[in-house]
Amino acid sequence: MRKPPVVIAVLGVSAALLAVLPIGYLVLRLFEGLDRALAELLRFRTLELLSNTGLLVLAVSVSALLLGFSQAWLTTRSNVRFAPVFAVLAALPLAIPSYVMALGYMSLFPNFSGFFASWLVLTLATSPYVFLGVTAALVRIDTATEEVARTLGLGRLQVLVGITWPQVRPAATASVLLVALYVLSEFGAIALLRFDTFTRAIYNAYQGSFDRTSAAALAFVLLLITLLVIWFERRYRGLYLANTKALGKRVRVDLGSWSWTATIGLTLLAVISVGIPMFSLLVWTVQGSASLDLPMLLDALWGSVRLAGLSGLIIGVFATAIALWAVRYRTRLGALIETASWATHALPAVVVGLALVFFGANITPWIYQTTWLLVIAYLILFLPNALAAISTPIAQVSKDLEDVSQSLGVPANRTLFKVVLPIAFPGIIAGVALVALTVLKELPATLLLRPTETNTLATRLWGATEDLAYSEAAPYALLLVIIAGLPALALNSQARKALSEVRG
Amino acid sequence: MLKKIIAAAIAAAAAISLSGCATDVALPEESPTVVEKTSIVVYAGRSESLVQPIIDQFTEDTGITVEVRYAGSAELAAQLLEEGENSPADVFFAQDAGALGSIAKAGLMTTLPDEILGLVPAGYSAADGKWVGVSGRVRVLVYNPEKVAAVPSSVFDLAGPEWQGRIGIAPTNASFQAFVTAMRILHGEDKTLEWLQAMKTNAVIYPKNSAILEAVETKTVDAGLINHYYWFARGREVGFENLTSKLGQFQANDVGNLINAAGVGIVTDSSAARSFVEYLLGKTGQQYFVDETSEYPLITGVEAGVDLTPLDQIPAPEIDLSDLDTLEETLQLIREAGLI
Repeated sequence: MRKPPVVIAVLGVSAALLAVLPIGYLVLRLFEGLDRALAELLRFRTLELLSNTGLLVLAVSVSALLLGFSQAWLTTRSNVRFAPVFAVLAALPLAIPSYVMALGYMSLFPNFSGFFASWLVLTLATSPYVFLGVTAALVRIDTATEEVARTLGLGRLQVLVGITWPQVRPAATASVLLVALYVLSEFGAIALLRFDTFTRAIYNAYQGSFDRTSAAALAFVLLLITLLVIWFERRYRGLYLANTKALGKRVRVDLGSWSWTATIGLTLLAVISVGIPMFSLLVWTVQGSASLDLPMLLDALWGSVRLAGLSGLIIGVFATAIALWAVRYRTRLGALIETASWATHALPAVVVGLALVFFGANITPWIYQTTWLLVIAYLILFLPNALAAISTPIAQVSKDLEDVSQSLGVPANRTLFKVVLPIAFPGIIAGVALVALTVLKELPATLLLRPTETNTLATRLWGATEDLAYSEAAPYALLLVIIAGLPALALNSQARKALSEVRG
Repeated sequence: MLKKIIAAAIAAAAAISLSGCATDVALPEESPTVVEKTSIVVYAGRSESLVQPIIDQFTEDTGITVEVRYAGSAELAAQLLEEGENSPADVFFAQDAGALGSIAKAGLMTTLPDEILGLVPAGYSAADGKWVGVSGRVRVLVYNPEKVAAVPSSVFDLAGPEWQGRIGIAPTNASFQAFVTAMRILHGEDKTLEWLQAMKTNAVIYPKNSAILEAVETKTVDAGLINHYYWFARGREVGFENLTSKLGQFQANDVGNLINAAGVGIVTDSSAARSFVEYLLGKTGQQYFVDETSEYPLITGVEAGVDLTPLDQIPAPEIDLSDLDTLEETLQLIREAGLI
């Protein structure tokens, strides 16, 4: 077993420690004041939050599944008109951060708030995940079985339920669990729409109260629920995206007289998920253009770009080190480090932010309220995304090339820098870009940890929306969609694959 | 080749971060006594749009640069408590006396010199001299006259079933919390809890005063509990004749008419921090609050705006602002009612 270079080992171990420490500190601190924390939790409010959160997670999961599945089936398996166009439209909401979608709606309808509003916005925002997952699975199943079932006299619905659904169920389940995680950790949209779930309550408890135990206690409960869902997600993740191509030709089902209904349905969906929010933001931007504070906008843009660029680079370096360690060296410690960085995957950003506020203020005051602590938060939150994006190009570098290089007398570590990294470089850069774009959209951790006098598009948007000053918020929202959302969607390999397969 | 790229990337990262971090690093604060500083950090619990202009003016006049961390007063107070001795803050500029009192109580503020405390009437600074008020504000009911025929006689009337879903409040806002503290002191814990529980049913929760006003203006709610100057600021912006809402006061001595003060306390003493406090209490600062934020000046020689009811004619309850420092207990009640 070869040993990795020291740089790689140091980067890997420190990333794993950074990911685990603050959360550990939060839990430790909670146990210090256990009696108070318990008193905090044993009240009706906790039950209310639990049922609100649970209800929203369930409702959104079900509706996102129905919507995403219908969109996937219609665009890949039916003869609906303009299928490729509708496929792109189905993925497009991924480019709109959910709090921007919430802003689009609430600025149009002043009474848009509460459970229904949160459910609608989150359903629209998350159904693309189901759409992409199910599309990928649908294009891989052989339609021959379905045709046989049809000739044996089964109705279309019976085929769908009895033959098609069982084959895409693993992919659908995995996607729905992703949706559930998304809803659990969602903060911006829910807070704007004033529906009380754990994330909003944690933020409010921190923001509006001197007693931090309550925020920490609620965060701990959310942490437990999230871990439970992550555990489920792990169990299903392996089952999804079997890498086989369908053998036979894909046959599209003739919708007949339903074709128009389907077209209208898909159009309507595109209108409410993309059309209405974007229209609303455009109108408000035009309305507020006269009073637009351009220096403030540019300052926020610079703040966003600076943070995103810096974090993208740093996270990229860490992720490359861990990926190299895990993929090219295969030591047990390397695997452990990789798991540790995944462990924090999907932790709600509010919890990570809160943990770092406590950790930073007490243990590491020298980086508290500096860019660095915020970068660490991003590292914890987005290292898994970077790992996913960067591992693949590194794994794809042929082992033979390395062997050749070493047989020519180049030391192993030098080979790594001379051969492996240069070949994987474009893929790594794409991973870095994707992470940087994700950082641009991040809200809760940025709110809690931003350095004094640093503003980003997201924090300015948040401040203006809290004032219900929509014409002030709208340009920030539009800019976010244009510079972060759309490029991120274009770089998303899962989306690209799914969309290209609809066309094929 | 690749090493070079990585080296360049790291250099770029360092350059980017340094350009941003240069201002993040707090100056060394070694001596607890007065030191010379050319830059101070202010934690401001007030809106950026309301106070940044006077802070810029201060920098222009004195050459002292000010880094401002804007957030809610309650959030900043929580942050100060969490940071304790490590806090980078020099001055805490809070929206209300309650947040200031709690920080003073935790022993995180230095005592202000008498020449500063003497500038304002006794009721508008801490009894122990840990903070000083810089501008006065009044709690009001903002309401839509089409929906609310007459202002109820007491804030307690808002607990009635006829108000269900009609009233906007901001329980995470420090001014609201100070008002609840006053209610606790004047009417006791039980009656206050009862009122808060009624608010759980009746009220629509907003994050800020400005959002409540906006909600009344757009007719989302019929009325709301806010500080008076938000309404004036909006009136000046869009024209008073274009406002849907009106301001109302409850009957005499009602706790809903609480007079409160935005104020400052010094966390880390320095002559620069003192200059800042003195500047806010000087003619320029006080006139700014009168002209730009429609608040009440607190020093003699500066008159309140003509459109404001004079402070001594406000039907406010009798309460000492120094007594509003029991925020912990207030928050416990607010939480018990499930509003936070």
